[in-house]
Amino acid sequence: MPNTSLALEVEEVRSGYRASVVLERVSLSLADGEAVAMLGKNGMGKSTLLKTVMGYLPKRHGRVRVGGRDVTRLAPYGVARCGVAYAAQEQPLFQDLSVRDNLRLGLPRDRLFDERFEPVAALFPVFRARLRQYAGTLSGGEQKMLLVARALMAQPRLLLLDEITEGLQPSVIERLAGALRWERENRGTAMLVVEQNVAFAMQVADRYLVLKQGAIVDGGGTGDPGATARIFDHLKV
Amino acid sequence: MNDAAASVLEDPQRRARVRRRGGELGLLALLCLALTVAGPWVFDTYLLNILIKALFFAVAAVTVDLLWGYTGYLTFGQSAFFGVGAYTAGLAFTHLGFSPGIALLSLLATLAIAAAVAALAGWLSFYRGASPFFATVISLVLPILLTQLALSGGTFTGSSSGLTGFETFDLSLEAWYVIAALLLSAVALAAWVVVRSDGGRLLAALRDNESRCAYLGIDTAALRIVVLVACGMVAGVAGFGYAAFSGVVAPELAGFVFGTELIIWVALGGRGTIWGPVVGTLAINVAASYLSGSMPFVWQLILGVAFIVVILLLPRGLLPLLLAPLRRRAAAAPLPGLAARPARPAAAGGPALHMRGVAKHFGSLKVLEGIDLDAAGGELLGLIGPNGAGKSTLMRCISDGAERSAGTVRLGGRDIGRGGPERCVRLGLGRKFQNANVFETLTVAESLRLAGTLHQRPSWLRRSPLLALPDYALEVLRTTGLDHKLGAVARDLSHGEQQALELAMVLALAPRVVLLDEPTAGLTKTERTQIGRVLLGLARTHGLCCLLVEHDLDFVAEISTRVVVLHQGRIVMQGSFEEVVASSLVREIYAGTAQAAVPQPAPSPLAGA
Amino acid sequence: MNLLLDVLSTAAMLYIVTAGLMMVFGVMKIVNFAHGAIITLGSYASFVVTRLGLDPWLGLPLALAVGAATGMAVEWLIVRPLYKRPLDAILATWGLGIVIGQAITIAFGREVQFVDSPVRGAVSFLGTEYSAYRLLLVPVALALCLALTALLNGTRFGVVTRAVIMNEDLAKGLGIHSERIRFATFSLGAGLGALAGALITPLSSVDPNMGLPWLISAFMLVMVSGHSMASLLLTCAIFGACQVLVSTYLSPVLGGVTIAVLAAVTLRIRPRGFAHE
Repeated sequence: MPNTSLALEVEEVRSGYRASVVLERVSLSLADGEAVAMLGKNGMGKSTLLKTVMGYLPKRHGRVRVGGRDVTRLAPYGVARCGVAYAAQEQPLFQDLSVRDNLRLGLPRDRLFDERFEPVAALFPVFRARLRQYAGTLSGGEQKMLLVARALMAQPRLLLLDEITEGLQPSVIERLAGALRWERENRGTAMLVVEQNVAFAMQVADRYLVLKQGAIVDGGGTGDPGATARIFDHLKV
Repeated sequence: MNDAAASVLEDPQRRARVRRRGGELGLLALLCLALTVAGPWVFDTYLLNILIKALFFAVAAVTVDLLWGYTGYLTFGQSAFFGVGAYTAGLAFTHLGFSPGIALLSLLATLAIAAAVAALAGWLSFYRGASPFFATVISLVLPILLTQLALSGGTFTGSSSGLTGFETFDLSLEAWYVIAALLLSAVALAAWVVVRSDGGRLLAALRDNESRCAYLGIDTAALRIVVLVACGMVAGVAGFGYAAFSGVVAPELAGFVFGTELIIWVALGGRGTIWGPVVGTLAINVAASYLSGSMPFVWQLILGVAFIVVILLLPRGLLPLLLAPLRRRAAAAPLPGLAARPARPAAAGGPALHMRGVAKHFGSLKVLEGIDLDAAGGELLGLIGPNGAGKSTLMRCISDGAERSAGTVRLGGRDIGRGGPERCVRLGLGRKFQNANVFETLTVAESLRLAGTLHQRPSWLRRSPLLALPDYALEVLRTTGLDHKLGAVARDLSHGEQQALELAMVLALAPRVVLLDEPTAGLTKTERTQIGRVLLGLARTHGLCCLLVEHDLDFVAEISTRVVVLHQGRIVMQGSFEEVVASSLVREIYAGTAQAAVPQPAPSPLAGA
Repeated sequence: MNLLLDVLSTAAMLYIVTAGLMMVFGVMKIVNFAHGAIITLGSYASFVVTRLGLDPWLGLPLALAVGAATGMAVEWLIVRPLYKRPLDAILATWGLGIVIGQAITIAFGREVQFVDSPVRGAVSFLGTEYSAYRLLLVPVALALCLALTALLNGTRFGVVTRAVIMNEDLAKGLGIHSERIRFATFSLGAGLGALAGALITPLSSVDPNMGLPWLISAFMLVMVSGHSMASLLLTCAIFGACQVLVSTYLSPVLGGVTIAVLAAVTLRIRPRGFAHE
């Protein structure tokens, strides 16, 4: 689809918690359909970047644009309504609501449920029979899948994922990777994937960026031969 | 030590400040005295009558300010204690007659009953995990309960009409005025002295950050109960005086409407200032008596609206606004001098830290499982692992006995049992949090003074001239330059300085075991090096045992003596940094392809890279 | 039998009064100390209807409207600015309660007034004569509980509100305008409070301070019961029973404070109250 604006533009953003500054002056951009992996050691600012884009943290400097619209000053619900879906390990699901309720909260209107659920159910068939089950009783892997399913229900322009593969079995990780691939190919959704799991990140993304001490220090294509080695160098384990 | 003390006391800047503070106190005392003595000459009978009652109310208002403005406990219930005093006087004089002996006995009874009721209310309101909101609701129930008791007492208590016409002290109006004014002056001046002393700063610390107080070894529940008992007794005496003067005791005196009026007067006058509530109470009561004659309900309406406006727009009240220009010239607290406190020799009796079989479950979710860990003084343990591995939970299990679901934790050989943070601190633990967990409105010197509470009880009368800290705490102050910023308020410090302040506070406890939550988070490169040096010194030179949760692996590499790797709630590996980093298991964990963790309590043999 | 009916109708009255407060507390996590004054407003709405000689049933929708309108104004002017200062929000709403009380006094005077009951007389029920209107409150309370449960569980608004209660940050991230939810909930809670005032007035009387004792009982009940409308019903039944028993066998005055005292002790021993989470 011809589009003159980028899915995400982050310009010279500076933010942090209370007194401390975590992100120095970060700039990056994503075109529609692009998937970028955000890598780096813990505490380097990856989650902070996603929270800042989403509007949970105030920006002390810089701008953020989604699809050409300035979302710098918007509250999280404003950003979400510009077509951004955010799935984070820390704020996953409403444990005491059913699978169906969790899914429908990702939608602007209830009557879209049936049509939007179809493609998502094709990716995660386990939920077809489990709509009434409480989200808190699902297994860890199923909860993560529900997280992604909910985000996909919103048919976002931009998907922000924060360490969703943490603690998952390889089979589930495979399924998630497949779902994300389908989403990109069929809907052209842009993705910013924060991960500790380097293998997953490389599988899912075209490009990678490494964040260190709140600034982007490296980047490249995931297909580049030396990429993995360079990345592990940064992670230094 | 004596020389250090002497040199501090000699310091001219300090002496100047002490003089100014003393002068301020003297001026206030003089003002009180002048108004006390001049009153009978200046005010007419009608005004004297109003003022005497208002003066007794103001005593109660001061107690409300101490509880709410200073310790942060919103209470609608001080009227209950006022009522206790009033009814004790009324009942005694009505049913037992009047004599100096009976008066004295009933005054003592007032103190006893008020103390007992306050202790009960305190027990109900202040305990581990209590919510401040619940305490407020209890404070509302108390006066209601007492009012109902008074109403249901039949002729004994006079029910809704109360007790009237009992014989009381035969004193002139002027004499009563002097007594009431002296009482208020004494209470207000005493409160003023207390809140400016070191102990008074403790009250403010309770309001700012109760959790940090607990982590400094202070039993916050006990402290709050003691303050409530003291305030309850004072309010009781005020009620006693009121009844003795007016000769009328009605249930409204113990009710929550009066209790909320006290809050309103304190809020409008200026909470946390002592004198604000005094002026507010007197002014509003005098105004009310003149205005409510002509427009009774409208007056209450105006007061209510003023109250809402003040809460919304001027939360600190009116007096601080009016006195703003004077504030700037008010005398700042004299700064103490720093001195070294000799460190206790490390006590023998088992390893500094010992954990066996520690586990933590949330229902069926296992956050920690089978944790066995030993650490000795002089060691620096780096606790690493991916997000969600359980590192913070582990720290909490060490610092709070109520946290873990199973297992034993011993500090210096002694079991922490189910004791809270205060108990762990008293057993030699210090914990530094990731986000600088300090007291926003206290200065550096005041914070450090409070941190030393376990070693030296703060004075409730004055500021001690000397701040004695262990030399490693002094090191931290010197390295970061905080020793020249003793008068700076914590809120105005930079992030790195706040972190350093918190570290110094924790070290002031002279702990055996120090827990540090991501000490380098948000620090600049220089600050990182500084703190690394400090921690190394603590372990090597002073024999402290330090346990750090860290994500900055370079930092861990530089300073740790042993690295502990946590994954999915279990310790999967322990060893030197090189061993751990070279292990393929750890590489896998960090690369994210590890399967369910296999517990490996002993360090695994070096696997090829 | 009479005792049983007393217990049931008292429990019903408590539930009706507390339901509105519970909604607000659940969503906003603050207690609206003006709730008592809003209850009073509702009963005066009934009084106005009586004075105008209209059908007493009209007092109910009028009260609901007045309460909701007041709630909207309060949320916007007072509660929203104080969102980050919960203790100050308590104080400000308390101040508002005083202001409303004084305004009512100026408008209507402080004398105790009476309103017409929509249903008069007594009925013979299960062997005893009992006030028909009082008895009517029991099915009303049950209907209210059902309606609120249906609202919260069956509608999108209900699900969205529950989501905001459970995790506001997460809800915001999903595009839910949490401030609007809070506004709507507060207004609804206030409307319910006023409705409660109109419902209970025929049984007692109307004066500017009638809402206050209900305020205290309602708070304690909200704190003790869990988060569902059904558990609130249960709590009202248990505590209502205790109040009636104490009033009947000990003293009516002490009965008034039974709920407060019992709740305080319950919470001290079990801070979660009756909630099972």
